[in-house]
Amino acid sequence: MIRKALVLLVICSLYAVSAIAADGTNNPNLYQPGKLTVATGEPVYPPWMMDDNPAGGVGFENGLIYALAQKLGFKKEDVVWVRQTFDQGIAPGKKPYDFNIQQYSVTETRRKFVGFSMVYYKPEKAVVALPKNDISKAKTFKDLRKVRWGATIGTADLDYIENTIGKKDVAVYNDQVSTFQALLSKQIDATVISLPTALFVTAVQVPQATIAAVLPHDSNDLGHGLVFEKDSPLIEWIDKGLKAIIADGVVADLTAKYLIGNKSIPEISR
Amino acid sequence: MIFKRSVPSRKAGRKIKFRDRYLPTIISVSSVLAFFWLIRSVVVRAEQWPRIKAQFFDLDTIIFVFPKVLHGFGINMSVWSVSLVVIAIWALLLAIFRSLQGPWFAPLRVFSIIYIDLLRGLPALLLVLLFGFGIPALQIPGLPNNSLFWGAVAMVASYSAYAAEVYRSGIEAVHDGQRAAAKALGLSQIQTLRFAILPQAIRNVVPSLLNLTVALQKDVALLSVLGIRDAVREAQIHTARTFNYSSLIAAALLFLVATIPLARFTDYITKKDQERRLQKTT
Repeated sequence: MIRKALVLLVICSLYAVSAIAADGTNNPNLYQPGKLTVATGEPVYPPWMMDDNPAGGVGFENGLIYALAQKLGFKKEDVVWVRQTFDQGIAPGKKPYDFNIQQYSVTETRRKFVGFSMVYYKPEKAVVALPKNDISKAKTFKDLRKVRWGATIGTADLDYIENTIGKKDVAVYNDQVSTFQALLSKQIDATVISLPTALFVTAVQVPQATIAAVLPHDSNDLGHGLVFEKDSPLIEWIDKGLKAIIADGVVADLTAKYLIGNKSIPEISR
Repeated sequence: MIFKRSVPSRKAGRKIKFRDRYLPTIISVSSVLAFFWLIRSVVVRAEQWPRIKAQFFDLDTIIFVFPKVLHGFGINMSVWSVSLVVIAIWALLLAIFRSLQGPWFAPLRVFSIIYIDLLRGLPALLLVLLFGFGIPALQIPGLPNNSLFWGAVAMVASYSAYAAEVYRSGIEAVHDGQRAAAKALGLSQIQTLRFAILPQAIRNVVPSLLNLTVALQKDVALLSVLGIRDAVREAQIHTARTFNYSSLIAAALLFLVATIPLARFTDYITKKDQERRLQKTT
């Protein structure tokens, strides 16, 4: 009788151990079990990641990944970074990483082809323009519609200009650098970009430009999420970790450190 | 035309057999069908096929984006047709510059050589970026800063270097005797070009120029990097927004509709040209 109970106990504990192991850092669903392989863009933009160096750990998104990895039980050196373009992240097929982080906006239409984690950050939007522009006098969306707009492809910013501000024929550029180049060359008058990016760009990269206004949230843009292969078995586990670091206040700290700026910018909301 | 077979010469007193008349056609058609059936069965059996089908060949998406892509395609076509005319003239001038003889024309010859070497040696995409972003950034008063304009200028700059070389090959293919004969008639250098050399040279290179025309039609899509919403960019915008690639298929179809007739026309001209050279009469 006792022997039977002991055997049962051993079996139970083995089962429990294996269950833990399956959910831990040796999760067989990982691209490389024992490592957390994370994809991001090339280049990566501050303040999301600083110095184009994800492994440096300085920046909002890579800071978040290292906090998440620690929460899930990975050591710092077990986080492996791979560089992928925006398009590689959404193309079908097996991916050489566990998930992709580069400010992908979570939307319902995109969910048809990829898996998303929970939303880890929801940025405000800002209008960036050169000073002494018609934009600086704008009070309403109607005023905003009078100027030439540009945005970066694949961003929720483009949707924002078209759907919320209501401006069509927006020039659409390949990347953030081209959009700002067009702004400097006066080929466009203004662009919409997430407020954290806008703060950094206007302070460091393109000091000639200024933030003309902040804009209210877009209801279709749920916020930034990690991108997985569709129906990835990892999502639930990673979400648990994300939830934990959000509850610990890690994300709030990172936000305060990298993403918050001057609150004195006027808001245009109609 | 593709299935055309060589007709066996009818020998006196012998009827054409079934084997000679129909068998080659049957073999061509059935082997083509078998080939495509094989490809299709391999593709459709792939594990990822249903996913690829939904993400790349979704008919609803194609129909949904079609008006926008078509509007963008209008931009492709207008840039293409305008730059085509400019390229045809500018490239011919470059080729003429290069073929002029005599010390007075040395600056033109050198200019033409440097121009062709530089612009043919640079990728078209690089030129589009340099012209489209670089020149407007200089903020020179009086120059337009419209990206469509500078993008088209970049395409003209690049393609005229290729086209000039095509013209030049045509000019050089005209036998030296023609030049000597024109000179003997007392024609000046310009008259020789105008009446003796160019008419023969241009006729020689029409098929090659048409080939460049087809290439230009597709390369206009490079202008999308300047923020211009051509067909490819409109399709990409939809792809990036929804992660659905079917919109690219809509753009691909439009390009095919435009380029395939042009390609067939090129074939036709090439064939005519060959017949002319071989002095064939039909």
